Amino acid sequence: MIARRELLRAWAASLALAPLATGCGRRARPEYRDGRVVVTFWYAYGDLVRKVMLDLVARYNASQTRVFVEAVHQGDYYECLAKLRTALAAGAAPTLSHVVCEILPYLARAGVLEDLGGYEGARALPFVPALAQEGTFDQGGAQPLVAIPFNRSTPIAFLNARMLDEAHLAPPRTWDELLAAAHALTRHAANGEVRWGYEVPISWWYWVAMVGQAGGRLVEPDGRVSLGDAAGEKALRFWQRLVRDEHVMRPPPGRDYQAWQSSNESFLAGRIAMMWSSTAYVRYLEDNARFPVVAAPLPRDVRASVPTGGTMFVVMRSAPEAEKQAAWDFVRWMCDAEQTIAWSTRTGYMPVTSPAVELLVERGWYAKHPNDRVAYDQLGAVDPWPWAPELFRVDRDIVEPRLEEGVLEGADAHALMDAAREEAGRPA
Amino acid sequence: MRPRAAWHPWAMLGPTLALLAVFFALPIGVAAYESLFSWDMLTPPRYVGTANYAALAAHGELLRVALRTLGYSVLVVAGTMTLGLALALLLDRPGRFFGFVRASVFSAYVVSWVAVALLWMWMLDGNSGAVGRLMRALGVGPLSLLGDPRWALPTLAVVGVWKLTGYAMIVFLAGLQGVPRSLLEAAALDGAGPWARFRHVTMPLLAPTAAFVATTSLVTSFQAFDVVRIMTQGGPARATELFVYAIYEQIFLNLSVGRASALTVVFFVLLLAVAGLQLRVWRGRAGVSR
Repeated sequence: MIARRELLRAWAASLALAPLATGCGRRARPEYRDGRVVVTFWYAYGDLVRKVMLDLVARYNASQTRVFVEAVHQGDYYECLAKLRTALAAGAAPTLSHVVCEILPYLARAGVLEDLGGYEGARALPFVPALAQEGTFDQGGAQPLVAIPFNRSTPIAFLNARMLDEAHLAPPRTWDELLAAAHALTRHAANGEVRWGYEVPISWWYWVAMVGQAGGRLVEPDGRVSLGDAAGEKALRFWQRLVRDEHVMRPPPGRDYQAWQSSNESFLAGRIAMMWSSTAYVRYLEDNARFPVVAAPLPRDVRASVPTGGTMFVVMRSAPEAEKQAAWDFVRWMCDAEQTIAWSTRTGYMPVTSPAVELLVERGWYAKHPNDRVAYDQLGAVDPWPWAPELFRVDRDIVEPRLEEGVLEGADAHALMDAAREEAGRPA
Repeated sequence: MRPRAAWHPWAMLGPTLALLAVFFALPIGVAAYESLFSWDMLTPPRYVGTANYAALAAHGELLRVALRTLGYSVLVVAGTMTLGLALALLLDRPGRFFGFVRASVFSAYVVSWVAVALLWMWMLDGNSGAVGRLMRALGVGPLSLLGDPRWALPTLAVVGVWKLTGYAMIVFLAGLQGVPRSLLEAAALDGAGPWARFRHVTMPLLAPTAAFVATTSLVTSFQAFDVVRIMTQGGPARATELFVYAIYEQIFLNLSVGRASALTVVFFVLLLAVAGLQLRVWRGRAGVSR
């Protein structure tokens, strides 16, 4: 009887949803334009980064007779991802895109990403280990190779050197020093304006950094989503203290990249003295600040730790074979030292291959741009992400809203993290 | 006019019914069906019965989203109707100046939600925005209206009122044209003052117009998405996560089609109930007044 009911349920499900669910349909024929295979590349950048990327795509296309890369802007990372998933379900996915690390294990499990391990030269590409799939994820090397590093970054501290000099302060190296410096740098003007000592978006990425610094990890070796246990709570409590008790930090308005942008603008306008942001903004901040910008490694609590961020190239398994080969050609070209150098020096994202780093050292780039060196050296403190398909859901649905609740509404950190752990342990 | 054959009315209604069936009834039906599955669009769906509804209810999320949306709608509808009616009464006069002011007020309704949201974000900026400066001048602040969970929703409601007031004003102005001057003059001859004339003559005759404005404003405010997406993305701390945005977030950001579908079904039922109730109340009032 139960078997029959199960059978009926399965039949009903497949009847209504199969056309979409199995979507992930394949395009059998590659697209050609003027005799060249078209690689549709969905990307998610704006402003300077978009310009640099389009320049590189144009250079690649000019060098080609076989392949044409058509870059299509799809909003920010999350908008691009939403469209990518919908397109995959509808069987209308592009050939190539780039996605945030947290979603990779989920997409890999869903079987929508091409295993690039067998492509020509894939295993021999000389990536900086911490930025490649093998170093970005715990046991990442044991998984099929589905992601190639593209625009990679880590969180980093940016300091207004003029303000720090005036206060005779050095970049804080510990959480305690951060608190003391934030106190010393916070100023209340008579007209009600405040110059904040420190600012960081209330965001999963920075919280993950602090969990690591407090000695925790998101997922335990037995697969339990612990969210750092006590370390996760300690990280949230530290934010609560800075914002609610000590009043030396302003949580920027907005969510996601809106909050990041708000912090950048406030920093450039001299309304905050220290902020945590992404290494990706180093060039933008240096070029636009009217004061010296100093980058510093994130301070430690019991140890130094940063997660990696940015995105990785992914090729869609559903694309026609010729398009996948063409996409791989473009990805490999992007990984050549000259392209990697052009990309990283013009934007601030990390150079992802060792030859590119060696060339930068040879050319004296790091001597002229010490902030880039700080970012690169911080890779020694990278903690890999767990290869957990639920990671993205835990980030977006479970942790991020609770961080806001804790900081903005003062909800109890232990209760919030307990509820988060409990929800993370339940099936979606 | 009587139809010559029984099927004639159905033939007239046919195209509309077909459109409604394809673009309204069918999607709702599909959403109701999909709400019974756990599905992320990329892996095969799994039948879970009413678990999606239970999960939403168990966390209190459903109730919170419903109350938040209702609260936002109440603020928007009340603000829009009050200001729209006041402006209509104030500007229901001949002359170029009044025409210019009427057009200015209505222009906000024509502007896209995206432009309105960006404009208000700029004005509300705690440091450099006009509202932020004004508040500091008044000795209030520093207050981040969009960054504080207590103020974010009312602030969005103010933006909604600003956008929709012009529409309400125009509809009320049209309604005022239907109020016979002779009745107002007769009331004045009987000794009724301005307030009494408004309360006992104008308002009852405007009741159908008010019902229309209230219902359309309610539906618009329930469907708020652009303003949330651009100004707050549902934050801070989910304080502005309204129904449509919650649906978007569940399906596109949290990868849960089933839960988004469950929210859609509840949203549909809630909107239907509230709109029905509102129309009933207003029609009842109109009937009593007459």
